[in-house]
Amino acid sequence: MDHSKRLRAQVYTYIASALILVSVFSIIVWYVLFEFIGVDSFLAIIVSFVGLIGFSLILSELVLKAVLEPLNALVRAIMHVAPGHENSSSSPPNLENVHTGKELINNMALQVYQLASYGSSQSTNDSSHRKELIQAINIVNHLPLPMLVLNNERIITNASESAITYLAAETSKLFGQTLEDAVRLTFPSDHTLSRWMEECQKNKVTTTGFWERVRVTLPDQTEKQCDLSAHYNRDNPSGADFIITMFDRTEHYQHDDDSLNFVAMAVHELRTPVTMLRGYIEVFEDELGDTLSEELQDFMHKMEVAAGQLTIFVNNILNVARIEQNQLMMQLQEADWGKALNSMLDDMQIRTNINDIVLERHIDENIPTVGIDRVSIYEVIANLIDNAIKYRGKSKKIIVTSKVGGNGLVHTTVQDFGVGMPSSVTTNLFEKFYRNHRTRNKVSGTGLGLYLTKAIISAHGGQVWVNSKEGEGSTFGFSVVPYAQLDKELRESGDKEIIRQSHGWVKNHSMYRR
Amino acid sequence: MDQEQATTEQGGRKVLIIEDEYFISELYVRALKRAGYQVDLTIDGAIGLQKAQTDDYDIILLDIMVPTITGTEILEKLRDKAEEPIRAKIIVTTNLEQSEENKAAIERQADAYIIKAEITPKQLVEFLNSVG
Repeated sequence: MDHSKRLRAQVYTYIASALILVSVFSIIVWYVLFEFIGVDSFLAIIVSFVGLIGFSLILSELVLKAVLEPLNALVRAIMHVAPGHENSSSSPPNLENVHTGKELINNMALQVYQLASYGSSQSTNDSSHRKELIQAINIVNHLPLPMLVLNNERIITNASESAITYLAAETSKLFGQTLEDAVRLTFPSDHTLSRWMEECQKNKVTTTGFWERVRVTLPDQTEKQCDLSAHYNRDNPSGADFIITMFDRTEHYQHDDDSLNFVAMAVHELRTPVTMLRGYIEVFEDELGDTLSEELQDFMHKMEVAAGQLTIFVNNILNVARIEQNQLMMQLQEADWGKALNSMLDDMQIRTNINDIVLERHIDENIPTVGIDRVSIYEVIANLIDNAIKYRGKSKKIIVTSKVGGNGLVHTTVQDFGVGMPSSVTTNLFEKFYRNHRTRNKVSGTGLGLYLTKAIISAHGGQVWVNSKEGEGSTFGFSVVPYAQLDKELRESGDKEIIRQSHGWVKNHSMYRR
Repeated sequence: MDQEQATTEQGGRKVLIIEDEYFISELYVRALKRAGYQVDLTIDGAIGLQKAQTDDYDIILLDIMVPTITGTEILEKLRDKAEEPIRAKIIVTTNLEQSEENKAAIERQADAYIIKAEITPKQLVEFLNSVG
């Protein structure tokens, strides 16, 4: 926006100064015509006036064209190489769309590197061509965006100057290294750059990738948060198979984090009153339960359910804050899964009961013991059952199934027969703050439950998944690892306690020990 | 059924609660008594320490933030700097995040640690039942 304003101001200045020049010129013409040649004064005015307008029009057109030409050329060049934009090349890209903008920058870099490689292979003698190419590469290198170039062995072969400054790395520690060795990147999900690169080399010829909220840990341990945009081009003659551009968004994300921290702090204060509330309800139930009328007993259950929901809400927010601060840690202990699951479902039963839902259980008998952090897994179950209740629609049934899956892990699913969702929605479901836009206004929630579920389960070494069909319901599943398998892994790795880290985070719950 | 079993199993183990938050102590006392424990409560750190030193208890629930003497000092006097060791299991209770220094001290000297805000009376009883 700024640039175009400046451009416009510049053009206006040019034209205004041109007009002044032309007016001076036309006054001279008028004077000459009138004074020396003796033409009628009225005619002289008209001639000079017409001349003035014509001249200024031609002049402004020329100036505008000269100023805008390089920009147009750039847009044409970028559109020419941008994959997936071929069909829309008649209209310029919408730079408001952040992804497109970031992709385009990547493409430009790619284009320059490609040109450079053609240059070196074909026209080494053409010195002016070489010079232009060197200039082009220089421009890319001087862009204020850290940019890394990797070859087909995924080794860094080039880095823009700003990348070297940004990553505060010595060139020797950057060039010739793999990306993992050179920079510590922490991705918010399993979709990591390394995995994407592997995938690309297996299945793709050319493609682009985009990541948000990637943590970059610099050598001095400071942390930045970036968006990444990457472009892959198989066997690029320039050797630039991967071009990765980093967009520093630390400030932007910091703001989000600060808000979350504030909420977490406030919510922290809610824990005690909520727990006391639950405590007093427990006392009521224990000591009065049998003497109350059916209606009052029902009210008491409802109180218990409401307090339980509040607890989940509070814990969700606190746990997300812990994940963000790399402080959530699991302590996995051996547990009889059938027993554990049944006792958790017993707790959930109050919730399903007051909503008139039948909670069916199909739990296999021969499930081996598993390694779980009970507090965290309880949150997973509570979140999944809560979701099933929220999105039940008009149905009256939830089915929980658990058995050993084909991969040897213990699979557990929670199935509802409610509103369901289209496949376009399911892909983003496990992301933070994600809420389905169709139901956002009808069903309350924070968009944190499934994000947490995924974080907790992957910390357990398991996986989460979802199958859903609009109008027919959803099945959410997760897997946990048999204890024997964990134990074996443990002995091999030589750790004393079963502590598994995911996304590089470390613990809090371990204080709750025996 | 389970509860009755727990009650008989506990056979009147003695618990000392050093806790100045009224709601919390009220709930704990009630729940523990119901589960068959003998419960003694004090809201004052110095008195708590005296009582603890009589070595008359099986379990001590020690809040880190109590008046007159802090929980950390009491813990130290009962463990690291104890004139005579006591047999009671010491369970530290708190709501606040502890400094690294405190955490290390608690981990070294206490037998267990619970976060009050995360544990309901029923869970506390289960927890104490499991503490040998």
